[in-house]
Amino acid sequence: MKFTRRMTLAAFAGVLALGTAMPAYAADLIAIITPSHDNPFFKAEAVGAEAKAKELGYDTLVLVHDDDANKQSELIDTAIGRGAKAIILDNAGADATVAAVQKAKDAGVPSFLIDREINATGVAVAQIVSNNYQGAQLGAQEFVKLMGEKGNYVELVGKESDTNAGIRSKGYHDVIDDYPDLKKVAQQSANWSQTEAYSKMESILQANPDIKGVISGNDTMAMGAYAALAAAGRKDVIVVGFDGSNDVRDSIKSGGIKATVLQPAYAQAQMAVEQASDYIKNKKSPEKEKQLMDCVLVNGDNAPKLETFALTN
Amino acid sequence: MPNKLTRLTLGLMLAALAGIGLGACKILPTPSAQGGDSANNSAFNPDGKVEEIWASKVIPYLQQKAGPFAEVHAQAKADQAAAGAKYGNPKKQANSPWTFAVRVEGKIVAANTQSRAGTIDVDVDGDGTADARVQIGPAMRGTALRDSLDFVQFNDFTNQIDFAQFGKAFNAYADKTVLSKLPREALEGRTAKVLGAYTIESGQDLPLVTPAEAEIGPKP
Repeated sequence: MKFTRRMTLAAFAGVLALGTAMPAYAADLIAIITPSHDNPFFKAEAVGAEAKAKELGYDTLVLVHDDDANKQSELIDTAIGRGAKAIILDNAGADATVAAVQKAKDAGVPSFLIDREINATGVAVAQIVSNNYQGAQLGAQEFVKLMGEKGNYVELVGKESDTNAGIRSKGYHDVIDDYPDLKKVAQQSANWSQTEAYSKMESILQANPDIKGVISGNDTMAMGAYAALAAAGRKDVIVVGFDGSNDVRDSIKSGGIKATVLQPAYAQAQMAVEQASDYIKNKKSPEKEKQLMDCVLVNGDNAPKLETFALTN
Repeated sequence: MPNKLTRLTLGLMLAALAGIGLGACKILPTPSAQGGDSANNSAFNPDGKVEEIWASKVIPYLQQKAGPFAEVHAQAKADQAAAGAKYGNPKKQANSPWTFAVRVEGKIVAANTQSRAGTIDVDVDGDGTADARVQIGPAMRGTALRDSLDFVQFNDFTNQIDFAQFGKAFNAYADKTVLSKLPREALEGRTAKVLGAYTIESGQDLPLVTPAEAEIGPKP
């Protein structure tokens, strides 16, 4: 029994050795780890990163952590085990991720973070993030204008572990709270989820039928909220989102959701891969670890130009 | 027997430790709570930081860097990078638009004091049409003041939230110490003199200047 197990282990080790040895003859590997592709934003990131990596001659390993820090840690182990030369990561929590990225660094694998920050510097090689605060201000200014600077409104907040949920909410309030006639009657987290936003919106609406607007921390929650409002015959309620998804673009074009804020997800992921490649080939780190990319307001004026998280000219 | 003794010693030690713990809790509840507070106070305080650097660093920097609005804006339209090298913050984020330090001097041709985000439109070249829109609060947009300063770097902040709060604190300080003291009535026709910053944007609206210093002349 013991003998068999040892044999199996040895065989397994042999396979592992082969597995790690083989990529040495193939192209260098870049691991791309993001939250679930169910949200088109994360899918656009993964697609953008993969396309750029292939263009630059790398093999790719595309994984999703589903916003689970434990799973993320396992995936980082996988990337290290597979001999990845770099990790492109949209992470699963500003605090929880620090150790995972440190682990990769200790194993000699550099990480290039996109979209979300971690609460530490000097661990990742790059943190390329959207200027969520600037974007939230743009969205809130449009919201204030649409509301005529007064009325009751609801705020839907994202997942608490994600810095972006807090920063967008802060950006919204830094603008909206300057208008005392705008009254927040409810603030709830729908965890970035469309279905959760739908059910939360249904119950909020029952308790507060006199609402005039909903400002949402992202587009999937905005879609869920708008669907619930439409089902209740309240298409008059002003809804503003954040991300710049094609779904919200289509809703804006058909007079549903009023505005969103575009994050350049696709370009951001591509930039991270370019910096990773520069690091792999030339041992060159980007000039600054923390890099901000500005967001753009999308409303009826420019919605037709929006496609897969990028504006065409 | 030795086992029992060890267990006894352990038990005694635990009891002693618990005693110390409890004792500390009982005797020092207030000091320990204060300790927690002072730990929070040592965290980032954006308003305090702005107040600390405003007169000593921010105003001198803007005074030294700023150009006349007409000149800066003409150059910015022709060659942003060249204008940026002269009037902008060369250490800005590579993907961010330029923010320029400017002086706006001219005649107020329109004012919006209905909105909480109050503004005055200023004609700087005497042609009777507005060239720049100056924020007069109390609600203010953007982070132009923060972004005009070459000694403020995103890299030096823990995260975007701290960086954002710092940006907001500049606006709040300008509103509290300068803008809230400006007149609000019958602004059209008066002169305005402003030292501030604006971020170049692609929209068709007038360039939006955030003041660090502002004066409005008497009624004509």
